[in-house]
Amino acid sequence: MKKQHISFIKVLSLVTVLMIFASCKRDNNYTGHAYFPDMAYSNAFETYGSSPNYADSVVMMHPVEGTVPRGVIPYQYGAKSFDEQQRAGQELVNPFMPEKEVLKRGQEQFNIYCAMCHGEQGMGDGYLYTNKLFPVQPTSLRGDYVQNKPDGEIYHVITRGSISGLMGAHGSQILPDDRWKIVTYVKNGFEVK
Amino acid sequence: MSNNIYLNMRKSIILIPVLLLCFSFILQSIHAQSQAPPEWAVCAACHTIGKGKLIGPDLKGVTERRDKAWLYSFIRSSQTMIQNGDPIAVQLFEEYNKIPMPDNNFSDEQIDGILAYIENYDESAAAVMEQPTETPSEDEATYEEAAPGLKGHVKYGPGNTQPTFIIFLILIFVAIIDLVFTKIIKARFIHIIIILVSVFVVAEITYVEAKALGRQEGYSPDQPVWFSHKVHAGQNKIDCLYCHSSATESKSAGIPSVGVCMNCHNVVKNGKKTGTEEIAKVIEAWNSGQPIEWVRVHNLPDHVWFSHAQHVNAGKRECQECHGPVETMDRIVQVESLGMGWCINCHRKSEVQFEENDFYKEYVHFHEEMKAGKRSRVTVDDIGGNNCQTCHY
Repeated sequence: MKKQHISFIKVLSLVTVLMIFASCKRDNNYTGHAYFPDMAYSNAFETYGSSPNYADSVVMMHPVEGTVPRGVIPYQYGAKSFDEQQRAGQELVNPFMPEKEVLKRGQEQFNIYCAMCHGEQGMGDGYLYTNKLFPVQPTSLRGDYVQNKPDGEIYHVITRGSISGLMGAHGSQILPDDRWKIVTYVKNGFEVK
Repeated sequence: MSNNIYLNMRKSIILIPVLLLCFSFILQSIHAQSQAPPEWAVCAACHTIGKGKLIGPDLKGVTERRDKAWLYSFIRSSQTMIQNGDPIAVQLFEEYNKIPMPDNNFSDEQIDGILAYIENYDESAAAVMEQPTETPSEDEATYEEAAPGLKGHVKYGPGNTQPTFIIFLILIFVAIIDLVFTKIIKARFIHIIIILVSVFVVAEITYVEAKALGRQEGYSPDQPVWFSHKVHAGQNKIDCLYCHSSATESKSAGIPSVGVCMNCHNVVKNGKKTGTEEIAKVIEAWNSGQPIEWVRVHNLPDHVWFSHAQHVNAGKRECQECHGPVETMDRIVQVESLGMGWCINCHRKSEVQFEENDFYKEYVHFHEEMKAGKRSRVTVDDIGGNNCQTCHY
C-alpha cells in the first residue's frame, strides 16, 4: 500500500517538473492577454492596414486622379529616360545657395541616403560596394561626369533613379527640399582633396 | 611488411581527401562556366542576351559582331572611344539615345568571364538555371531555426505559465484534502511545505501575468518575408532612416514600401543566409503590385498618442532606446514593455535642451531658477510631459 503512494508522488513530481520545463516556450505570434481593452483597438481602419471597403483592400489610397494634395507640386519628369532627365536639368532650378545651414542638412541627409553606396566623400566607394554587398560600382560623384551636370539633373536622378535603373528612385524617401540640399552638398560640400 | 601495409594505408587515407578536393575543384569550375559571373550583374541592368534591347543593345552574338580588342576598350570606357571618334561607338551612342555606358574597371579575366558567359549562354538552359538555387545546408539551419534575436530576449515577458499554475493549484487542493480528510501522509510538515511553496508559485504567476496584461513584451511574430535587421542595419550598416524615412517627419516611423526594397534588390537577388527564395518574394510583390503584409510588432493602444517625429527630431532619442538592439536581431522582438510606467519613467529622467532653445523661452520661472543656480536641469516631466492630455487627448 505504502509503496504505491510513493510511486504516485514520484510520478506526480516528475510530471510537474516536466510541465514546468515545457511551459517555458511561448508562442511568438501571440500578443498576450488583455484586460478590459477599452479604446485600445482602433475602430477606424489604420493607415497600414487593410479594409474590405476598397477593391484592393489597401487603406492607404492613391489620391483621386487629376487632384493634387495641398502644398505638393507634382513631379513632371518621367523615369529612365535620357530626354526627361535632360529636360529636368534645363528646367528645374535649385532654390538653395551653398550656405552653411544648407550644406549641414545636405550632409546629414547625404550620409543617411547616399553615403552607403557613393561613399562619405562621394568617391563611389561606399561600404556596400567595398564590402562586395552590392556588385556594381556606384558612380563617383567627384568626377566630371556628375560635377558638370546641372543641379536639376542630379535632383532628377535622386527623385526618379538613374537611367540604367541601378540606382533606385529615392523620391518617396527624401523630401524635395532635402533633395535640393543633397544636390547642393554634392556640388559644394565635399572636403577638397 | 605489416608496417609497410600500414604506411600504404596511411598514404591512401591522405590521398582520398586530396583527390576529393581536386574533384570538387573541377566540378566547381564546370559549374562556374554555366553560371553568370558576378560582374554580369552590372551588365544585366541595361543588357539582355537574346531577349531584345533594354537600355543598351542585346548582347547576343556580340563576340562575333565585334573583335575582342574593341570590346575590351568599349567595356572599360565607352566615352573615351566616342570622344576619339570610333565610328561604331559613335553610331551606337546615337542609336541608343546618347545614354552613356558607365566605365567599368574590370581586369582582363573579368571581361573574358563576361564574354565567355555571353558566348555560351543557352536560352533554354537559362530558364532552368534561373530557378532559385538551393541554399547551402549549413546556412539553412541557422536561418530556419534562427531568431537569435529572439533567443537572446526570451527573458522578456512571461512564458506560457498556464500549466504550471494549474498544477500548483491542484497540489494545494490535494495537500489540503490529505491534511484534513484522507491523512495518507502522516508527517504534517510535508503538507505545509507543499502548500506554502505552491501558494508562492501561484501568487508569483498571478503577479507576473497581471503585470503583463495588455503588454506585448517579447512579442516576435512570424513575418511574410524572412527579413533580418541584423543583416541590413547591423552588417550592411544601412541607416535606420534610409528605410524608416518618415521617423523624423511623421507620427509613424513608416514601413518601407516595396519600392524602397527594390532600390537595392533590383540588383541584389541572392541573400547570404536565405539564397534567392526570400528576396524573390519581394521582387514578386514589386512585379505584381501587391503590398507585402508585414505584421506590426510595436503597437500602442488606440487611446495613446505618440509621435516619432517629436521623439526622434526634438527629443533626439536613439531608435534603440525604445526598440532595443534592433541591429542584432534577425527577427524583430519587442524588448520594452511600452507600458505607461515605462513612458513616464523616461519622461522623468530625460533632460530637455532648455538653454539656447527659443522653443522654451516662455518658461521664465525655470530660466530664473537656473540662473539663480537652484535648478541644474529641466526634464520632460517639468514642462508638462507627464500631463494626462499630453498622450491621452
